[in-house]
Amino acid sequence: MEELKKLAKELLENKTVAAVIGYQQVDDKRTKPIIVTTPEDASKLVFNEYCLNNLAVYLTKARIKNLAKQNGTTLKLGIVAKPCDIHAIVALIQESQLKREDVYIIGMNCHGVVKDYGMDFSGETLATKCTPCDSHKPLYSDSNLGEVKDTPKVSDEVLEKIQAVEKMSHKERFEYFKKEFDKCIKCYACRAACPLCYCQRCITDKTVPRWVESSPHSRGNFSWNVVRAFHLSGRCIGCGECERACPMDIPLSLLNRRMTETAKQAFAYVSGRSLDTPTLVGSYDVKDSDELFM
Amino acid sequence: MDEKIISKQNLVNFCKDIVANGHNLLAPGKTEYNLIQDPSEIVLDTKSKPTKASYKTFVFPKAEPILYYKRGKNDVVMLDAKVDEKKTVIFGAKPCDTNSFNILNKIFNWDYKDDFYNERVKNFIVIGLMCEYSDRYCFCTSVGSSPVSEKGSDLFLVPIDENNYAVRIVTDKGKEFIGAYSKYFTEGAPEKSKAAEEKVKQPEVAFDSKQVHEWLGKNFEHPKWDGVGDLCLSCAQCAFVCPVCHCFDLVDEDYSYTEGRRMKNWDGCQFGHFTLHASGHNPRDIQGKRYRQRINHKFKYYVDKFDEILCTGCGRCSRGCAVSIDIKEIVANCTD
Amino acid sequence: MSDKNWEPKIVAFVCNWCTYTGADLAGTSRLKYPTNVKLIRVMCSGGIDPVFILKAFERGADGILVSGCHPNDCHYNAGNFHARRRWTFFDELLEYLGVEKGRLQFSWVSASEGKKFVDVVSKVVNDVKEMGPFKSYDELNSEFMTKFPDMPEIDKNMIIKEEEAV
Repeated sequence: MEELKKLAKELLENKTVAAVIGYQQVDDKRTKPIIVTTPEDASKLVFNEYCLNNLAVYLTKARIKNLAKQNGTTLKLGIVAKPCDIHAIVALIQESQLKREDVYIIGMNCHGVVKDYGMDFSGETLATKCTPCDSHKPLYSDSNLGEVKDTPKVSDEVLEKIQAVEKMSHKERFEYFKKEFDKCIKCYACRAACPLCYCQRCITDKTVPRWVESSPHSRGNFSWNVVRAFHLSGRCIGCGECERACPMDIPLSLLNRRMTETAKQAFAYVSGRSLDTPTLVGSYDVKDSDELFM
Repeated sequence: MDEKIISKQNLVNFCKDIVANGHNLLAPGKTEYNLIQDPSEIVLDTKSKPTKASYKTFVFPKAEPILYYKRGKNDVVMLDAKVDEKKTVIFGAKPCDTNSFNILNKIFNWDYKDDFYNERVKNFIVIGLMCEYSDRYCFCTSVGSSPVSEKGSDLFLVPIDENNYAVRIVTDKGKEFIGAYSKYFTEGAPEKSKAAEEKVKQPEVAFDSKQVHEWLGKNFEHPKWDGVGDLCLSCAQCAFVCPVCHCFDLVDEDYSYTEGRRMKNWDGCQFGHFTLHASGHNPRDIQGKRYRQRINHKFKYYVDKFDEILCTGCGRCSRGCAVSIDIKEIVANCTD
Repeated sequence: MSDKNWEPKIVAFVCNWCTYTGADLAGTSRLKYPTNVKLIRVMCSGGIDPVFILKAFERGADGILVSGCHPNDCHYNAGNFHARRRWTFFDELLEYLGVEKGRLQFSWVSASEGKKFVDVVSKVVNDVKEMGPFKSYDELNSEFMTKFPDMPEIDKNMIIKEEEAV
C-alpha cells in the first residue's frame, strides 16, 4: 500500500502522468474511485479486497482524457488496475480506443475481491467473477505492485447456473429470461459501468429508426438485453461490473459468461489477453467453422 | 389518533383477506416490492435493508401506455388508456418510502393533473412499518422524516412485543379500510407503542436543509460539481430507484403501419441525451452540470416551488451507485 | 400444428449479389417455392445487423433466414467472413435465451444456385411449420396490447393499407 502511494506521488511529481485513477478508502470495508491529480492527494490511494470497481471505464471518458493534455503536451494517465481490469485496458487498446503509451498501468497483484462492500473477505464472499479467474498477476503493466496471496478455492457459481439454465427446455429458458428481463428498468447502469461500452451514441439511443425500443416493457427489455449481450460477445472480459451495477439484480453475467465460453470453444479466443492479436469480432479467419450455414 | 393492536397471526389472516378480496398486496422483497400471492410468505422485519427499488412504479409505472392510436386516411382515431381500478395495499413500507406520495402529489397536481397517477394513488393503501435499519447511506432525519414517521402512511405498524403490533390509524382512508376487517383488531395501548418508538436509533442529522438550500442558490458555478461529474458514469440508477424522481419521456411506438400507442417511460436527468436539443445543442453537456441539476432540483428548485424537499432520505441512490457517489456526503458538504 | 390453416411468416435477409440473384434465378427457372417467405435485399450478409432479426421477430415473424455468398465469393471480399463470426455468437445467444435453433437459420446461396435457394427456403418453412407459431415472442408483444379490442370500430375504408402507407 505504501509503495502504491509512493509510486503515484513520484509519477505525479515528475510529470509522467497527469492523473492517477485509483481507489480511495471510504470506511473499513468500502472504497470508491478517486482521480488524483496532485502529488499531495496520492496518499489517499489504497488497494485491497474492497476495490470492486473496474476503473478502466474512465479511460474512454472525454473529460478524463482531457486531463492528460497539459501545456500543449499529452501526458499519460495513470491507473490502478487489478489483473482483470488490465484485460479491459488491453481490449480497449486492441479496439483502438486507447494507445498503450497513453496509459501508465499500475498493475496490482490480486487474490480476489468481495461480492459487495461491507463483507469480510473469505471464500464465501468471494466475488463470482473471481472464482474462475486465472490472472492474479498483471499481464501488462508499467509497475507491478502488491503481494501475491492465494485465492480461496470455491466452486464456479456462474458456470453452474449457466449449465442449470441449459438443462431447461427452450420454452422454460425463454420464460426464465423473460422474467429476469422484465425486472429491467432501463437505467442503463450496466452500459455505464461497462468499460467496453464506450460508444458515443448507443444503438438504443438512436431514434431514426428506433431499432431497440426505449420502453422498459417486456419487448423493449428483451431487445435491449439481447443487444447488450451480443455487442459484448467475444469482447467481454468478465469484470462483472454490469451485474454489480444492476439495481434490479438481473443475472447479466449468465449471458456474458455464456458468450465468453462460446468464444473459447468456437474460436479459442479470450478477450483482452494479448496486445498483438486483433479483436475476435473485428477480424476473421477463412478457416472458421461453416457448420452453422446450410 | 386512534390506535389498535393486532397479533402476528391475525396480521397474516388480515393479509389473506386482503388477497381474497381481490386487492393487490405488495410487500418488500430483496430487490423490489413484490406482489404477494401467499401472505404467509410475508416477513415483516423492521431491521431489513430497504429494497433496492422503491414502490413508485406501482403508481408511476416505469412504462405505461397513455393512449392508443389508429391512423386513418384523413385523421387519427385515438383512445385513452385506462387505469386498472384495483385497490392496492402495500404492506410494511419503510417510513422513507411512505413519505413519497406527499412529495409526488405536488408535482403531479401542479398545472396539469395527472389522472394516471391520481387514480392509482386514490386506490392505494399504504401500511407503513417502523424502521430499525440504519447504515451509512440513511439520512431520513436530515430531510424532515424519521424512522418512526407516519407521514404518508394510512396505517402505521409498530411492533410492541414479540407477538403483537400496534396499528396506528393515520388517515380516514386507513380507518375506512380496516373497518371491514375489524374482527382482527383489539383495543390499543398507545403508551406501549410510544415506548417502542423511543427505543429506535435515529440516523444522525447530516445537514441542515435550509442551509443547503441557501448555499445552492449562491454556488451554481462551484468547481465541486465537476469533481463529482468526472466520477459519475451517467446512468440513471439513482433516478430510477428514487421514490420521488418523476421525470418521464413520451414515445410513440408503432406496431404496424396504422396503429400504435404512446408510452410514458421513466427518464433520468443523468443521461447525456436528456437535455439534448434537436439542433444538436446540449445545455447540460457535461456530467458535472447534470449532477448539479440533480442536487439542485432535489434541494432547491422543488423547495422553491412546492416548499418540499424532493428527497425522502432513503439513501437508495447512494447504496446502489456503481461508483459509490454518496448524495448525503455531497449535500452535507454544500455549506460554506 | 393444431391450426391446420396456419401459415408461418418467414423473413429472409439476403445479400444483393448472391442469394438475391439466386432467388431471381429460381424465379426465371420457373422453380416453385413456398410463398411464406418475404425477401429483404441487403447489400451484403455482413451488413445485416442482428437488430434486424429482433425487429422481424417483434413484428411477428415466425422464422428468419439469413443468406449470403459462399465463403471466398463475397462481392466485398470479406463481408461474409465477418458475418460468420457474428452470427455464430448471435445464434448461440438466441438459442441460450430459449429461441429454438430452427427459428433463425443461415445459408450460403450463390447466384447460380436457384435450386439450392428453393431447397433452403422449403426447409426453413417446413422446420417452422413443425415448430408452430412463435408463441414465446408473441407473449413479449402482448404486453400493453390487451386494450386494443376496446378500440371503437372505425371505418375500414379509412385505414391506410400497408402498400399505401409508404
